[in-house]
Amino acid sequence: MAKEGDGERALLAAEPDEAEAEAGSVSGAGASPLSALCDPAHLAHRIVALAFMCFLGFGSYFCYDNPAALQIQIQEDMQIPTVTFMLLYSWYSWPNVILCFFGGFLIDRVFGIRWGSIIFSLIVCIGQVVFAMGALVNAFWLMQLGRFVFGIGGESLAVAQNTYAVSWFKGKELNLVFGLQLSMARIGSTVNLNVMGWLYSRVEGLLGYPGHTTLGITLMIGGVTCIFSLICALILGYLDWRAERILHKEQGKTGEVIRLTDMKDFSLSLWLIFVICACYYVAVFPFIGLGKVFFMGKFKVSTQEASAINSIVYVLSAPLSPVFGLMVDKAGRNIFWVMCAVVATMASHMMLAFTFWNPWIAMCLLGISYSLLACALWPMVAFVVPEHQLGTAYGFMQSIQNLGLAIMSIVAGEVLDLWGYFFLEIFFIACVSVSLLAVVLLYLVDYTRGGSLNCSPRQRVELSKKTHTK
Amino acid sequence: LRPSSERRPGLRGCGAAAACSGRGPGPGGGPARGRSLLLLQCLVLLRAPAGLLGDQTRRVSLEVIPGPTDPSQNLLHIRAVGVNSTIHYIWSSLGPPAVLFVATDTPHSVLSVNWTCLLSPKPEGSLAVLPAKSVRFSSALIFPKLFEFDSTNSSEVKNGSPGKPYPPYLLADFSWDDVNSTLDPTMLSATFQGRPSKDPLGAFSNGSLAFKLDQLLWHSSPEGFLQWRPVAFSKKQPDWKTALPCQVSPPGPTLATLLPQSSIVRAFFGSSANFCTFNLTFGDSTGPAYENQRYLSWSALLGVGSPPVDSFSPLVLGIMVVVLGAPALLLVGGGLSLLLLRHRRYSEYEPIS
Repeated sequence: MAKEGDGERALLAAEPDEAEAEAGSVSGAGASPLSALCDPAHLAHRIVALAFMCFLGFGSYFCYDNPAALQIQIQEDMQIPTVTFMLLYSWYSWPNVILCFFGGFLIDRVFGIRWGSIIFSLIVCIGQVVFAMGALVNAFWLMQLGRFVFGIGGESLAVAQNTYAVSWFKGKELNLVFGLQLSMARIGSTVNLNVMGWLYSRVEGLLGYPGHTTLGITLMIGGVTCIFSLICALILGYLDWRAERILHKEQGKTGEVIRLTDMKDFSLSLWLIFVICACYYVAVFPFIGLGKVFFMGKFKVSTQEASAINSIVYVLSAPLSPVFGLMVDKAGRNIFWVMCAVVATMASHMMLAFTFWNPWIAMCLLGISYSLLACALWPMVAFVVPEHQLGTAYGFMQSIQNLGLAIMSIVAGEVLDLWGYFFLEIFFIACVSVSLLAVVLLYLVDYTRGGSLNCSPRQRVELSKKTHTK
Repeated sequence: LRPSSERRPGLRGCGAAAACSGRGPGPGGGPARGRSLLLLQCLVLLRAPAGLLGDQTRRVSLEVIPGPTDPSQNLLHIRAVGVNSTIHYIWSSLGPPAVLFVATDTPHSVLSVNWTCLLSPKPEGSLAVLPAKSVRFSSALIFPKLFEFDSTNSSEVKNGSPGKPYPPYLLADFSWDDVNSTLDPTMLSATFQGRPSKDPLGAFSNGSLAFKLDQLLWHSSPEGFLQWRPVAFSKKQPDWKTALPCQVSPPGPTLATLLPQSSIVRAFFGSSANFCTFNLTFGDSTGPAYENQRYLSWSALLGVGSPPVDSFSPLVLGIMVVVLGAPALLLVGGGLSLLLLRHRRYSEYEPIS
């Protein structure tokens, strides 16, 4: 679930930050703290809004990885093989193969940001409740349906969350806000991975026996976070409406213009970036979905430690994303960083496959390389696509990523069922290898065409000056 | 040699083996996730090895040495003759199931058995491999007891103990089928199968415990080894989903007097031998145990020389070569061709400028 955040962040950050003239800012000066909190023009009020914005996505981030946290319980209680279990992730990704293109459109043209976020939060809630109901009545197809509905809401909600951020913080603390929202997403995933197993055992203790009922109740309790997010959406809607009335500001827009006809203009470099993206994330998210049982089986760690190891990727990426973002901004040379990240990921999967070294090492490496890749890969799109096609390019990238995840989740489950975890790791290494191949190709293509992807920022400025003077 | 204990009747073995049967006493009527663990106590006896040379090909023959009276008094002799050495495996169900392993440095060594003495209370010296001088390495493996644990109680399990033990099965008290009926000289297989002769609770009535022989190993170096993967399987077709962890306790030296007496071991080694014991535990408290499938298969290798080393399959190696090689090749090849191209371009442009 962390993935779409990266994309949106890069997309919006790529837009020029225009300082927006603000009306009525005088009224905040010299007011008491309480009135500052209520004054939409005041920083204190914006921080209150920011808190709600961060928690707006908490529910969906929390619930996205519920299956990973409860893999053993789900497989035992519903009596399903791994390939069927992975359908839960696959069904989440399917609607987003298409919705990536329309999320922005729906928010801008159909619902508006306020109703959009409320409706998407509601869809997320319904999805989670249906998912939990499926477990309660022991119907796995209902659980799959729940995940599908959840997927419809989840990614679009992330778009809405980012739109709110732009609307409230554009020209001010926008990058910091994006960083905070990303960190919140990681915290949601981490809390989930570490709490759901414990919650299940508590419910089991209460009921006295495990089974699909226990699972259903646990998931229902997990769904409370979605309700919480829905409440945040409602409050945020009210605050935004109030701010609009007082400040006469416009309702936030994603500004995404997506024309599928742009596709024919996509350069080879962009297609290579798509390949890198799809193949790389396939080796990270499905692995986290299946990782817990792997750590318990191969490294003989306890359930709690396996959860903790599994969540270290998210934990690390929360503080590292801003650091790496800054580093890549200053140093440029994006292809180099992407290559480092992909090679490190490959090394980490090879450690897990071929050695019995402490899994913390490999997973920390994975966490670091994953954060680095996100910071270096997504901004590259802005260099190879004209600005008016950015929306389409990012939409396409997310769509391909989701398609890859939807298909490869099933394939990974099948590989695991047939040949076990060792071959699953080999499979992931192969995926990363394809990604690495694409990185190398991208470097060669960019080099021969005199592109700026692997330039330092100074070289980029010189390059753009040259093209301007021409 | 691969003895494996399997809880299933009518086992089709591909080796010499002993078998016993059992439906293990599980936590009957207990909570749905009642788990029982199995533990097999093993004894190993080792004698100092001496220099031996390896042979790649051996003629292997299986022979049941007929006892004077009872067909259940099985004595199976497996003889593997090489160019200048012989390995003898002697399996027996006299007392607890046991196997003697003797390696000699001549292709002409033979086994001599004195049945009357072997069945007497003092069997020392009744079993020998002749000529005695040719014996370079000998060891024995005894399976005296089979334990079962109830690990339903999770608080006990957390303390590291496998759970509450049931009364152990003394394998010496089992009654064993005639191994002649399962002997297959072409497949080089035989199965020892048995069940408790007295089983008032009927706990073991539907299953069997089997030992079967599969493979003979002889490597060049003189040491002997007993080697196994730390895994047991809960189905006949071993795959990763049916795998159970298998833990071994650290082997500790034990006095022979504390142990159940195995006639063939005493017969070969005499009464003064060094024993060490260890426990094998199958399954753990978190995963499914033997209880779910009522079947457990574990195998080990007993041989002379250096133990065989696991290696990756050609498929895995092939994939890894492609996976690592392709990007590296592209990087090197692409980089070189870029350099060449650039060089050529410059050299073409130079005369013009």
